[in-house]
This record gives sequence, C-alpha cells and structure tokens, in this order.
Amino acid sequence: MALKPREVINKMSLLKLKDITKIYHQGEINVPALRGINLEIEKSEFTTVFGPSGSGKTTLLNVIGCLDKPTEGDIIFNDNNIADLSKKELSTIRRENIGFVFQSYNLIPVLTAYENVEFAIKILEHLSKNEIHEKVMHILDLVGLADLEDRMPNELSGGQKQRVAIARALVKEPKLVLADEPSANLDSKTSEDVLKVMLKMNDELHTTFLFSTHDPLVMDYAKREIELKDGLITKDERREEVNVFS
Amino acid sequence: MFLVKLSLKNLWRHKRRTLITAAIIAWAIFFYITFDSMLIGMNDMVFQNIIDYEYGHVQVANPNYWSEKEELPLENMINNNEKLNQKLREIEGYQDHAPQLNFQVRLNDGVNETPVMGRGIEPDKTFSVLNYEDYIVEGEMFQMGENKTVIGKRLAEIMKLELGDYITLLTRTENDTFNTIDAEISGLINTPNPNINQNIVFVPLDIAQDTLNVDNKVTHYIMRLNTQNFNNSIISNFQSELNDFNSNLSVYSWKDLDEVSITKAKQSGNALILIIVLTIAAIGIINIVILSALERMEEIGMMKALGLKEREIIFSFVLESTWIGLIGGTLGVILGAISVYLMSIYGLDFGAIMNMDISEYGIPIISTIYGGWNIGTFVYMFFFAIFGSMLASILPARWAAKKDPVQAIYRR
Repeated sequence: MALKPREVINKMSLLKLKDITKIYHQGEINVPALRGINLEIEKSEFTTVFGPSGSGKTTLLNVIGCLDKPTEGDIIFNDNNIADLSKKELSTIRRENIGFVFQSYNLIPVLTAYENVEFAIKILEHLSKNEIHEKVMHILDLVGLADLEDRMPNELSGGQKQRVAIARALVKEPKLVLADEPSANLDSKTSEDVLKVMLKMNDELHTTFLFSTHDPLVMDYAKREIELKDGLITKDERREEVNVFS
Repeated sequence: MFLVKLSLKNLWRHKRRTLITAAIIAWAIFFYITFDSMLIGMNDMVFQNIIDYEYGHVQVANPNYWSEKEELPLENMINNNEKLNQKLREIEGYQDHAPQLNFQVRLNDGVNETPVMGRGIEPDKTFSVLNYEDYIVEGEMFQMGENKTVIGKRLAEIMKLELGDYITLLTRTENDTFNTIDAEISGLINTPNPNINQNIVFVPLDIAQDTLNVDNKVTHYIMRLNTQNFNNSIISNFQSELNDFNSNLSVYSWKDLDEVSITKAKQSGNALILIIVLTIAAIGIINIVILSALERMEEIGMMKALGLKEREIIFSFVLESTWIGLIGGTLGVILGAISVYLMSIYGLDFGAIMNMDISEYGIPIISTIYGGWNIGTFVYMFFFAIFGSMLASILPARWAAKKDPVQAIYRR
C-alpha cells in the first residue's frame, strides 16, 4: 500500500546535543567514542545515523536514549538539560518519553505478542484496562499484527518479531523512538517491510525516529542522514522527500 | 499485577530447573518434618517409658536423699507408715502409689560379680503404678516375704543366668556392715526401658528392709496421677499439702528429670543440623536466580530501557523465587504429612533398620518409634520455605537489577 509523503507538522526542536563527549576507560587507556558532537533533532524527524563499526553510532543512541551518560556536554531534551540527571530520573524520562527498538528484538519469550506490547504501556500505570487494550490492539493493527496477537515470540518470523518490538516502542506514544540497527538480523525484503512500518508510524503518529545502521537500504528511507566517523559527525543532510512507497 | 503475571510465566520458562529447585526445598522440608516427628515420637516414648517403667508421674522423697540419690544412700529415708500412705491417697489427682527402697548391691552368681541397683518393692502396689506385670517374660513376680528375685532379661543374658538359678546379692546395711540376700530367680522382666532390663534387681520390700536393717523405711514413693499432663499448680498444691504433714518431704515431677531436659536439648541440637540442610535449599534458590539473571540479561536491559525501575526488576525476580518456595513448601508439607501419618500408624523400628540397639546411646527405647504430630512445625516450615526463598533471592535479584542497561542489552 502506498503511503502519503510525510507532512512537516512541527519544526520545533526535540533534542539538542552540545559538545557531547563520551570516553570509555579500558584499564589505563581512554577510548573516546564521541568527540564533541553537536546535533539538533526536530520533532517528527526520521533520521538515520550511519557509519562504520566503531564510529560511535550505538554510543550516540545510548546517550540520547538516557541509557548512558556523556563524559562531557549537555543534552537538552524537550527543553530540559538531562546530562546530569540521576539514574532514577533518567529511568523516568525513558519510561515516559523514549521507545527503543533493538537489533535482536529483545522480546520476552514467555509473553505473547500482545503481552509484550502491553508490558511497555502497563508500566506507565495511569491507564485503565480498556484503554490499554484499545491502544495495544490499535498499534498491533498499525504494524499489521492484529491477527497474531496471541502468538508467542517463537511462533513469529524475524520481521514479525521486529514489528512487535516497534509496536512495543510506540504503544506508549513516546516523543522519540531509537532503533539500533533494526534491520541487521533481517533479510532485505523483511527489512524493507519493517522500515515501511516505521515510516508509516512516523507519518501517521508523527513520532520522531532516530536509528543507526550501515545498511544502504535503510539509508534510502531516511529523511535525514547523519554520518559518524571516529566519534565525529562528518555529514548531516536532509532530504525533502523520500520516494520509497511505490 | 503485570509483574506478578510475568513472574508466574517465567516459572515455566525452565520447567525442569524450577521443579528441581522446588524439589530440593520440598525434600528439605519433608526431611525436617519427618525428623521432627520422629524426635517428638522418640521423646513421647522416652517420657512414657520413664513414667511407665521407672518413675511414675511424681516421686516423693526427702530432699537430702534426692540430691544424692545417684549414690543410693541409706540416709534421709522415709518412714513408710500408714498415716503418710493415707495422706498420699488424699492428694488431688491421686491414682496409686508404691513405696520403693533403692540400694547398692553386687550381684554374684558364684563365679562372676557385677554392681547393680537393688530395688525393694511391694509387687501389688508397684504393678498398680508401673507397667511391669505384662513384661515378666519368664516365670512370675515374687510375693512379699519370699527370698526370690526378679531380674532384667538382658542382665540375665549378660550374667548367663536362668530362671530358678540362685544368686547372692551383697550389700551394705544402714549401719555400714555387709549383708547378703540369697535369692532364687523367680522371674525375668523385659520392659521397653533398657535401664530396667540390665541394671536393676527386684526383691520383696520386706526382705530388703530386713537385710539393710532399715526397719520400715523406704527411700521414696512413686505415684501415678490421673493424667501425665498435670500442671505446675497440682504439684504446688501437692507440695503444700505435704508440707503441712511433713516438711521433710518433697515432690518431684517426671518433667524435672535430667533425662527429660537432656532429650529436649538433643532435639534443639538436631534442629540446628536440619537448619543447615535448609540452608542448602536457600543456596539452590540463589543459584537459580543468578542463572536466570544471566540468561535474561538482555531482557533486563530491555526492561531498564523501557523505564522499569530497579525495585520493580528486583520484585519480579523475588516473586519468582517466592513462587518456587511456595511450590516447594506445599510439596514438602504434603510429603511430610504423608510421612508423619505413616510413621504414626506403622512406626519406625530403628534397631532393625540400623541394626543397632539405640539404648546404647542413652536413649531408653528398645521398641518401634511412632511419629508424633506437631502442627506448628508444618506451619513454620511452610512459611520458612516461602520467606526463606524470598529472602535468599533478594541479593542476587538486586545484583541483576543493578546491571548497567547498556552492558545488559549488549551483554558486555
């Protein structure tokens, strides 16, 4: 099904990184993963971060996703500097604002597709049972898995698992979805399907997506491409329109 | 509620591991309950043996005699007069009483000699207090005034004596002179109390009194009351009534015996050993939580990424262990109940099983031990399994929950 091109609804800034440095300490050796990154992500952008292995893509996503703290620099998320927040405060930001899609899906094997998605929204604890059910079924419907809700993860294909993971990331309507190499474990056809789903979510829900990859196919779908090399941004380009829905 | 559901589902992720851990807990509880039941049964039997074959419910003696009774002195004895006997019959809860005269004696069969305890008794009265009558396995009990004796079957075996043999009992009189009793063995006794069977020689009370030159004196009275579960107030009333009559007499309950307190102490010691067994079950829980955490590291990372708090992750793991404790505890209690039921019906012949006489270890039992019920142990062990499992899992669950989310997600 062909989708409409995304409408630019809001050009307000969601995230700003100012001089972000991340240094890992391996014994007495300091390994810089990010070296003074300055970046601004606007609301409802669909951005890819690409680059070779070891360029700092995953570290950048972890820092943006509040999973890791930068060694230096400021992170302005939704007009708040979150660089120096405690673990507990970062956990609350993740819970309420950020969705994650992992390369290896990380679904809970003892829960059905429905329950895996439900899990992400239930921890918010401010919705009724009916509201939760409606939201979960709606999002499963959007990713095309409404009829597979009772399947266990081991009864789903790789692409279906990744769709469940996307649904899990989106169900709580986060401001930002971070996806670390979402197509790495998928074949090209399935990767394309998954990317279309993500793009559709971006288009319909106006959710901001930021994903890392080194897959050229994935880059074709991005509205903005950021290239990282040795912990530095070497390229940052926006495309007005992406014609991948035909 | 979702974490409760998740913890229940996680139980069946590795069914075999869950069941093995629950089985270890169940085994520990089953073992504890069974052992506890056996100890209760053993205690009951020890106490019943002491009451039925040696002590009665209470004994009345001069406190000075009582403090040295192990030495079998012929001092501080009681004058066995009718007035005192009548007084004893008037005591609240009275059932029967019998006088006894214990004395030192050396048993000589003409070749060998061994030190034993002589006990002068009035057969009829003694039979009304102690259950000897049914345990005279050969011959019969003597009558008062007869130069006859009844000895334990085990003693007869050791000394190679038979019914109808004559023995000489060498003793010291109250005046510290030697005297003897030449008596024919009229009966052999074999009670469930090994002390009676191998250490005591019974003679008629009047013959003992004549030989020891103690007139109508006895060392003590044994008494049976209407129930063995008498309380301290009955003993206190008994004591005060007796004091009004004779201030030189004291009442001693079977519950105050050294053997009773030793047996209770042994039970505490065994409980300590069994707690060690239960610690092994706790190690099983710690092991399963660590294994689960290691296996689910990526899930833990994902949960933290989704914003699950550390305490919620800890709660999830702890709850999972608690369910295992609940399964193990329930199984253990059920198996324990079956075991105690069977032991209370059929008993356990320890001597036959272990091919030994446990009386050699100072436990006055030679027959089958029947299990005793202690509902408190069941309740305690059930909750111990649940809370023990819960507590054992807290530290490893905390370790898992504190994992850095990035390291957990990427298994670094």
